[in-house]
Amino acid sequence: MAAQTHSREVQQTTLDPTLLAVLANRFEAIVREMTQTLLRAGRSATISIARDFSCSITTSVTGQHELLAAAEGLPAHIYGSHLQAQAMCELHPDLAEGDAFLHNDPYLGNSHPADHTILVPVFCEGQHLFTAVAKAHLSDIGNALPTSYMPAARDVYEEGALLFPCVCVQRAYADVDDIIRLCRRRIRVPEQWYGDYLAMVGAARVGERKIQDLVAKYGSETIKTFVHEWLDYSERRMIHAIRQLPGGDVIGTGRHDPFPGLPDGLPLKVEIAIDTQAGRIAVDLRDNPDNVAGGANSSEACSISSVMQGIFSALDPDVPHNAGSFRRIHVKLREGCVVGIPRFPHSCSLATTNPANRLVVITQSAFAELGDGWGTAEGGVAQNAGYAVISGTDTRRNGAAYVNQLILGGNGGPASPGCDGWVTYGIAVISGLLYRDSVEIDEQKYPLFVKSEKLAQDSGGPGRFRGAPAIEAEYGPKGDPVTLTFPMEGYETPAKGARGGQAGSRAWAIKIDRDGSEIPLPNIFTGDLLPGEFIRYRDCGGGGYGPPTERNPEDVRRDVLERWVSVEQARVAYGVVLTGSIEDETLAVDQEATRELREQLGK
Amino acid sequence: MNGMAQYRIAIDVGGTFTDIVVADTTGRMTIGKGLTTRERLFHGMEQGLTVVAQQLGEPDVPTLLSQADLFIYGTTTATNAVVEGKTGKTAFLTTAGFPDILVLREGGKTNAYDFTAPYPEPYVPRRLTFEVRERVNAEGEVVVPLDVEHARSILKRLRAQHIEAIGVCLVWSIVNPTHEATLGRLIEEELPGVAYTLSSQLNPIIREYRRASATVIDASLKPLMQHHLREIAQDVSRAGFRGEILGATSSGGVMPIQELAERPINTIRSGPALAPVAALHYARAEVGSRDVITCDTGGTSFDVSLVRDGLIKATRETWLGGQWVGHMTGLSSVDVRSIGAGGGSIAWIDPGGLLRIGPHSAGAEPGPACYGRGGARPTVTDAALVLGYLNPAYFLGGQMQLDMEAARQAVGTIAEPLEQTTDQAAQAILTIAGEAMVQAIQEISVNEGIDPRETLLVAGGGAAGLNMVSIAQALGCPQVLIPRTAGALSACGAQYSDIVAEFSLSRLAVTDDFAYTEVNAALQSLHAEMDTLESELRGRGLRNFKRDFFVEARYPTQVWELEIPLEKDRFDGPQDVAALVQGFHRVHERVFAVKEEGAEVECLYWKGRLSGLLDRMQPDRPPARDTPRGTMPHAHRSVYFAGQGRTDTPLYLGSALEPGMQLHGPAIIEEPTTTIVLYPHSVAQVAPLNNYLISIP
Repeated sequence: MAAQTHSREVQQTTLDPTLLAVLANRFEAIVREMTQTLLRAGRSATISIARDFSCSITTSVTGQHELLAAAEGLPAHIYGSHLQAQAMCELHPDLAEGDAFLHNDPYLGNSHPADHTILVPVFCEGQHLFTAVAKAHLSDIGNALPTSYMPAARDVYEEGALLFPCVCVQRAYADVDDIIRLCRRRIRVPEQWYGDYLAMVGAARVGERKIQDLVAKYGSETIKTFVHEWLDYSERRMIHAIRQLPGGDVIGTGRHDPFPGLPDGLPLKVEIAIDTQAGRIAVDLRDNPDNVAGGANSSEACSISSVMQGIFSALDPDVPHNAGSFRRIHVKLREGCVVGIPRFPHSCSLATTNPANRLVVITQSAFAELGDGWGTAEGGVAQNAGYAVISGTDTRRNGAAYVNQLILGGNGGPASPGCDGWVTYGIAVISGLLYRDSVEIDEQKYPLFVKSEKLAQDSGGPGRFRGAPAIEAEYGPKGDPVTLTFPMEGYETPAKGARGGQAGSRAWAIKIDRDGSEIPLPNIFTGDLLPGEFIRYRDCGGGGYGPPTERNPEDVRRDVLERWVSVEQARVAYGVVLTGSIEDETLAVDQEATRELREQLGK
Repeated sequence: MNGMAQYRIAIDVGGTFTDIVVADTTGRMTIGKGLTTRERLFHGMEQGLTVVAQQLGEPDVPTLLSQADLFIYGTTTATNAVVEGKTGKTAFLTTAGFPDILVLREGGKTNAYDFTAPYPEPYVPRRLTFEVRERVNAEGEVVVPLDVEHARSILKRLRAQHIEAIGVCLVWSIVNPTHEATLGRLIEEELPGVAYTLSSQLNPIIREYRRASATVIDASLKPLMQHHLREIAQDVSRAGFRGEILGATSSGGVMPIQELAERPINTIRSGPALAPVAALHYARAEVGSRDVITCDTGGTSFDVSLVRDGLIKATRETWLGGQWVGHMTGLSSVDVRSIGAGGGSIAWIDPGGLLRIGPHSAGAEPGPACYGRGGARPTVTDAALVLGYLNPAYFLGGQMQLDMEAARQAVGTIAEPLEQTTDQAAQAILTIAGEAMVQAIQEISVNEGIDPRETLLVAGGGAAGLNMVSIAQALGCPQVLIPRTAGALSACGAQYSDIVAEFSLSRLAVTDDFAYTEVNAALQSLHAEMDTLESELRGRGLRNFKRDFFVEARYPTQVWELEIPLEKDRFDGPQDVAALVQGFHRVHERVFAVKEEGAEVECLYWKGRLSGLLDRMQPDRPPARDTPRGTMPHAHRSVYFAGQGRTDTPLYLGSALEPGMQLHGPAIIEEPTTTIVLYPHSVAQVAPLNNYLISIP
């Protein structure tokens, strides 16, 4: 990645500072408007319930394609959008107003094939100044199996996805029907795909119109100056944020659990060099294994976005996330590396989740090595049955077919130096941004019956600040069999604690037969559940931060009262002895016994 | 509610001020303000009423009250109690297996990179949440029968824990409410007198979190609000009032307070919900406009709401305490977007050299630097003072003297690093503060597919006039209407509101195979509910009623519904269904810029709205004048405007301005409760009903 090639002199702004702030707001507002359009008009639950999509605007004003604005998009979706805009220009020298492109090619800048991207070049006064990007995770993209995640695919051919290497899908604002027909033929539940496609095009076109209005109002010269100055400003913020850190080199390590093509798991290493003087961070991912014969290879976009997300999680959250701040991060990648630039035809089917989740948590927790007060623990990474892609037919709707990804679960978020983990964290790459399914909506839309969904006691990693608990849930088919696929991680390697904090609990899944017998499931599951069968599972708890014996005993008491922590764990892990009962709210800390126990535990 | 009364009284109790608007038989509005007295709200009202009585030439408050037939009451009591966690001790009963509905909410987070914010607490603690053994499925079939004995044992425990209120929300109670109804009976047996709310009665909508949230909020408010509303009724009647007391609701209407005490959640954010009612009234009366954006600028918050084609925009997603981290009320209510931007917002320069406003606020203590109470950091109010927009000797109607030198010094601290003059920096503060307001307006209008450029902006609130002209300019709005009553817009809205009650029920119907019998039966049962309320209201003397019906619908497999008004209250044949489908396509295209011709439509909820129309005190319309007249200013002051610099600017007293008069910017109009800054090139006209209509260049 050439993150440093473009670096204007850091200087004070020449644009009226008020206008700088105003225009920055306007671009963010345009992205939010695109986001609203896609959220409400999207057809699949993945988009319209879970919000698994992102919109962004890239600019070519600086002479190359750079990310300008992304509002609250998912890091895995947006940090590579400039690569896609670049591909669009290189492949289509005849680019014209009214064009739109469909791009889901991970060898050409996309995150993974299930993320369909619509790119609309935005022309102002005849010049292509911006690109409006709408990207959504789709539940089906024509894979060999009815799922958007193909962990066992040896290569792109076994994976089976339709790949669109930035293909023209609209000309003069009208669909290129050949492409639409191709998708409708090969993608399951084509009406759902087409509805999602319309929503994406709608969002990108809204962005186009609004950018053109803005440029018409302020003039293209002012807007160009703004782009330069805004990216420079973002760079200054980044330099300042990096200078707050203690300098030094840290190495984060971790391991992805065994997977198809990875019988021993996948050891991962993130080498981080922080130069506070220069205000730069370099990350080296090259000392990692080669591409594997499975779906867990990272794409270039995801290798970059995962470490970026980890780094930004360790800095002032107010720093703008765009090409300006990216200039201060140099990510070193190797072609043919499992977390680098993928070599065709290795499959990147799981690039946005495995090993992206691991890269994110390894990176953000590596910063804890700098000292107490920095970084975070690790968050949970299990993409378990609660995130399964389900498919089948529904007799309640005259046998209508469906395919969709559930969001009926969730891992615990990592504890930080200042607070406990975020409960609705999802997985690391989501970091709380996605919405969760309503049980009632899921049961209405699919022939499913959800028996329970609750947070598991003692599952959050103990620490001075506690990791958030994991969700434990159970569901099964109602009248029709349901095909289920999920690639679970985190069943061996939990979310680690940081600076003396402990790990969260591990993930698991079991099938419950009609006779009530419990069958442990492999971490990669593809199969049918029949009516009367259920699947029960638990995701990972988040890691704790700091020694648990340093947690305020009153907070431990409150955790026990609220049933996050058992009386037993309060004593064993936190060294807190309690008296009284939860039922009549007389629970109290035995100060003396707690002091003694903590002294013992400290030895 | 009719009769020979002289006055109609509306009161809006806010956090700081209690606003009073009294209408007389000519439709003239008299405004009074008192400081809110939280320990006994009536004392603050009495203060304000005394001011009004004097203006109306009445000897005292009892005389004023005895000549009024209606007393309309809006209060933030419920909202404050929810936000501050000061409601009754409440338990939550839910289906076994789902104890964390209130903890998990619906997900969502503002910043993926921020690990410094703790996860928010659930509305009811987990230790007061109880799992009831029962389960109904999506089709309404009982999968697990209700374990009555187990339920009784839970209730006995609640008695021991001195629970004051209980919210009951079971999964799928919207299609089969029998288990909730049984629990209701058990509560009455085991815990007689303890307030409770059943989700299937309060808010029968799909999505367990928002239904449960509404239910526990409502239950938790019952002990408090029932006591509070009784107290107000006693205080008001003791002071001489003999008429009907109505309470403002979150749907922009009013209800007899006895009804409100049964559903106290309906009083949440009822004040802000009335602002668009007033705005719509003025917009129609002055310029015949039916598309209106309403802005209400208070001391600490800026509220925006929307009227489209004469209908006030509603939402089910009202959050108390912040989106995703607060608690959703889940009930259909006026969509009021609130941002924390006001006079106290602090300006600062971030490490990248950019000027930022807020989110920190100087609040009332120490307040802006110009209050002279020790605040040293520059605020929006300081900037307005520096620019000459505010009169240092006439702030809050002369109650407070502002310190210009302190304001200049504070603003100077940011002018220096920006390499600007103090005036330029002050201007920048106002512009950037206005930018947040511009965005809030854009977001709500964009969501509805409305173009602000074709919409009238109505501005209210004490700080309404400071930068509304430049906000309108940024949005491209051609005109801004600032009512004379801008300082008390919500209380004013109460004067123009009707009794509004909404009923809804969930009945799935698909347009390709329309369930005529079931849907017509559903609409019939909505009629029946409205009949009950209507006959009660008729007993109170109300005569004019209106019924409107709506459906919330979506394309198949979509998950978010759109609200479509129905043309009829029953479906007689395919042509009626076709009309519904066409209506849906139209709204979908307006809101999302796309539609899918030929697709069927799924209908989820059917909603009926009963309006009991209150007689208005109609204003006399003064004869229109052919030619606009000018007038003489009462003084001049040096005021700074962007692009123009310091200008000796004329000041006008609102009381000297009459319909037909026209003022050209730059100018400043001083009203007792608000200040209007006319930027250069803008023109203010005093409209026929005496409000200010400003044209933006």
